[in-house]
Parts: sequence; structure tokens; C-alpha cells
Amino acid sequence: MHLLKKPWIIAVGVIPALTLYLIFSIVPIFISFYYSFMSWNGFSEMQFVGLANFQEVLQDKVFWSSVRNNVLVVLASVFGQIPIALALALLLNRKIRGAKFFRTIGFMPVVISTVVISITWRMIYNSEYGMINNFLEAIGLGFLQQNWLGDPTWAMIAVCITIIWQFVGLYFIIFLSALQTVPKEILEAAELDGASEWMKTRYVVIPSIWNIILISIVLCISGSLKTFDLIYVMTSGGPANSTEVMATYMYDKTFEGLRYGYGSAISVLIFVFSIGLIMITTKLLQRKEV
Amino acid sequence: MSETTVNYDTVSKQARKKKRVKRGTIYLVLILFTIVNAYPIFWMIMNSFKTGQEFSFDPFGLPNEWVFVNYVEAWVTANIGSYFFNSLFVGIVALLICILFGAFASYFLARFQFKGRNLLYGFFVVGLLVPIHATLVPMFILMQKLGFINTHLALIFPYVAFNLPITIFLLTSFMGSFPKEIEESAIMDGCGPFRIFWSIILPMSRPALATAVILNFINNWNEFSFALVLINDDSLSTLPLGLANFAGEYTTNYTAQMAGLTMVLIPTILFYLVMEKQIVNGMTQGAVKG
Repeated sequence: MHLLKKPWIIAVGVIPALTLYLIFSIVPIFISFYYSFMSWNGFSEMQFVGLANFQEVLQDKVFWSSVRNNVLVVLASVFGQIPIALALALLLNRKIRGAKFFRTIGFMPVVISTVVISITWRMIYNSEYGMINNFLEAIGLGFLQQNWLGDPTWAMIAVCITIIWQFVGLYFIIFLSALQTVPKEILEAAELDGASEWMKTRYVVIPSIWNIILISIVLCISGSLKTFDLIYVMTSGGPANSTEVMATYMYDKTFEGLRYGYGSAISVLIFVFSIGLIMITTKLLQRKEV
Repeated sequence: MSETTVNYDTVSKQARKKKRVKRGTIYLVLILFTIVNAYPIFWMIMNSFKTGQEFSFDPFGLPNEWVFVNYVEAWVTANIGSYFFNSLFVGIVALLICILFGAFASYFLARFQFKGRNLLYGFFVVGLLVPIHATLVPMFILMQKLGFINTHLALIFPYVAFNLPITIFLLTSFMGSFPKEIEESAIMDGCGPFRIFWSIILPMSRPALATAVILNFINNWNEFSFALVLINDDSLSTLPLGLANFAGEYTTNYTAQMAGLTMVLIPTILFYLVMEKQIVNGMTQGAVKG
């Protein structure tokens, strides 16, 4: 590292990236705040309405059910993806034939476009031709058939299952590479002391990758709060708003309902929720570690 | 003495049996995981080769006769060729800009000491937390004002901006790990900072650059939300957007939908299988290091 005498050279290096990043990522957040105080349909004059949009959003039942669904996605992701991924990674973290194969297939859904996944799963859940109903029929459990995405009681569950399916592989791979950093000597020492496999996992392995688990939980939460494409394509928030999440509701209100100010108020709340939830979980989990 | 040997033998036999059962269980779980991961994809590919009738009667078996009409139909009616081109064009241009600007900024952030350096780095990395959907409304208005709506530029700029944080994060930590003697001799020889960047730092960063390129490309290739909001001219649609629209219009022609999905999916999977190691490393690097 060295001190450069001419600061303009540094400016030349950093400014192009900084400009694009500011204009197209940071500034829009602030513009969102600004629009959220306006009543505006995108064409006519903007009107300043103060906190009216926020007042309305906070009394909007559909908004609150979209928050609830967002929380459901977060819970399903954290309690579905993380434990399944951790268990699988622990299983595969040994000399096993075909380990590479399991790893490769395990990660595959993560690189597939969400739109492709949504359309595929929409067909899997299809009430007439879908894989699930056909399978239930074939094994004589036809009475369990449902209109999975068409029935408000099942739609959200069906969506959550797809989300878990899509991202288990990501955490599986993260945990697998973290497990490789656990020092072998400590494990051997524990073995000599007569520790069972369970004890080794509980008292050596898990604590030494605890930081990665923590980071994964934060990633998982911030990822699930971003849920949009999947629900937009699979159900567009229906039936009867039963799968609406904050982002799809914001999209509806803004671009279908042409209420830019109202949509921006929802955007601001998405931003606040995301940052808040991430901060809270980081705090909570850090305390637990000590 | 013989008694102890026998005893020892039975113990080890039991232990071996127990070990075999354990191994078997592990394999069973891993194989189940593989089936759950891969079967939906396989199901879709198989059915894309069936006639609509065969699909409704026998959605599980292999096709009786492999038909390609679905592919012709999907290709012709869904314009997949043009979507491919758009995705490729937007994805690659955005990637080049992002890598160029990102690498340049990372070089100065990693190799020079200047006031506000850590702050600037932190400011870039915070972008990882910005929820895309909180920026959709202002982005739409911004692009309208700039006259970019329905042009490739409308996607290129946000793609660059939203990929800069991860790019800078990866490249800065990689470039920062080089010993500082690297530049010293070059400076003695009279190289300026730009020359050092092009001839020394950039070539040395190849592994991190490769990871950043792949991550950028996957993100751009799969992106849906910005395309949905900023592009409404079908001839400019990217693959995810075009595919979602196609599936929305041909809701009952399942086999043609599956053919379209398969055409989009196969290149992704091939790319993944070829680059697997780099992709997986790239995805885990950030998390495991932090």
C-alpha cells in the first residue's frame, strides 16, 4: 500500500463506479422516500400529502397480510433451509463415494432462473396434470389431492415449499465449505477422548462454524424479504391476495393501480423492515454466541 | 486368551455392521435429496417431448415417441431466439462495464492509502443490503426521465449498479492480499499507477475476476424485476421476462411451455456443469470468509 501524491488519480479510479452505484442504487432509495409523501398517478402533477400514504398503508388489511406472508417466507426459509442444509452438509462431510455428484446436483437449483423454477413448479402443483396430484392418485392417496395454488389455505404453503427447494442448495454448499475449515486435530483429539459422533458435532463442529451459520441466517432473511419473482410468476399474489408479499403488493399498487406515491410508501416500509429485521437478528444471534 | 480374541471379533463384527447400516442411511438420505432436487427438472424435460395428449394420460413415463413440435412451437411463437439475444447482449454489456469499473475502483481501494478509504469501501458493500424492490418505482420514473424506458440501456445501468457491491467486495479483498513489494519494483522502473493496474494487478487477479464475471453473468441472466418494470416492448424482452409472458399466454399448452423452459434451462445447466467449481467457490467465498 502506498500513499499517492496526486489524489485526482484516485478520483479517476473510483468515480466511474461510484457514480453509477449512486445514481442507480442509492439515490432511488431516497427518491422513494420523497415520492412516499406524494399523491401521484405517474402522469398528472404530484401532490404533497404528508403522511397520508403511510396512514393508509398501516390501515390496509391486504398490506398487513402481505407482511404476514413475508414473515412466513422468512420463517419457512430460516427453519426449513438452514437445518436441512446443515444436516445434509454434515452427512456429506466425510469420505463418501459420489460426494462430488451429490454436491453438484444439490446446488443446481440455485443457478436456475427463478422464472423457470416458478413456471415448472406451477405445473407440478397443477390440479389436473401436475406431478403431485398425479403421484397421489397413483399411490392410492387420491383423496389428498388439492388445487394447491388455487386454494387460499394451501397456496402459501405450496409457495414456501418451492422457495425452500430453490435455496437449500445454497446453504448446503456454504456449510459444506465451512465444514472443511474445521481443524482436523481438534476432531481427532475429541475422538481420542472418546467423544461420540453426536458430541463431536455438538461441541466441536457446530461451534466452530457458528459464525457461518449466523451469516447464513442473515443472508436467508434478507433473501426472503426480497421474494418477488417467484410469487409474481407462480400466483401473482392470488388467490384472493393469499400469497401476496410486500414486493408484489407494492408492484400491484404502483404499476397496476397507478398509485406511485402509495407504492413508494410500501417501498419505504420494505426498506425499513429489511434493515430492521437484519439488524435485530444479527444482534440476537451474536448474543447467543457468547 | 482365545476367549478375548472371539470377544474382540464379535465386537468388531457388530461395529462393522453398525457402520454399514449408518453408511446405508447416509446414502439413502443423500439419494433422496438428489431425487427431490433433480426429478422436477427431469419431469419437465421428459414431458416437453410428449404430445399434449400423452402428457395428460401418462405424465410420468418416458415419451412413447419423441416429438419436437413443442420446440418448434415454442421457438416460433415465443420468440425465444430474440429473447436469447437480448439477454446475452444486456448481460454481457452490463458485465463488462461492471467488471471494468469495479476492478478499477477495487484497485484503488485495495492498494492505496487515502482519507475515507474504509468509509468508501463500506459504502459500496452496504449496497449488498439494498432491496431491489424498494427501488423499482423511482427507477421506473428515473428511466422515463432519461428516456431509457424500452431500451437496452434501461437494464444495463441497474444491472451494473446492483452488481458493483459484490464485485468490489470480491476484488478488493483479493487484490488486498498481494504483498506490497509487487508494486515497488514497478515503481522503480517508472510505472505509473495505471500501468501497474493493467500489467500487474489485473492479470494477478484472474481467479477473483473469473468468479466476479460468473456471478455477474448469472445475476444478469436470471434477473426479472427490472426487466418487468422497465421493458414492455416484446422485441426487447429478456429471457425470464419473455418466458413469463409466454407461459402467461399459453397457459393450457403445457408441453409447449415445457419445451420453452427446457430450451432456456439446458444452456444454464451446461454452463453450470462446466463452471461448477468456480461458481460454487464464488458463491461461498463471500460468506465463508466473512
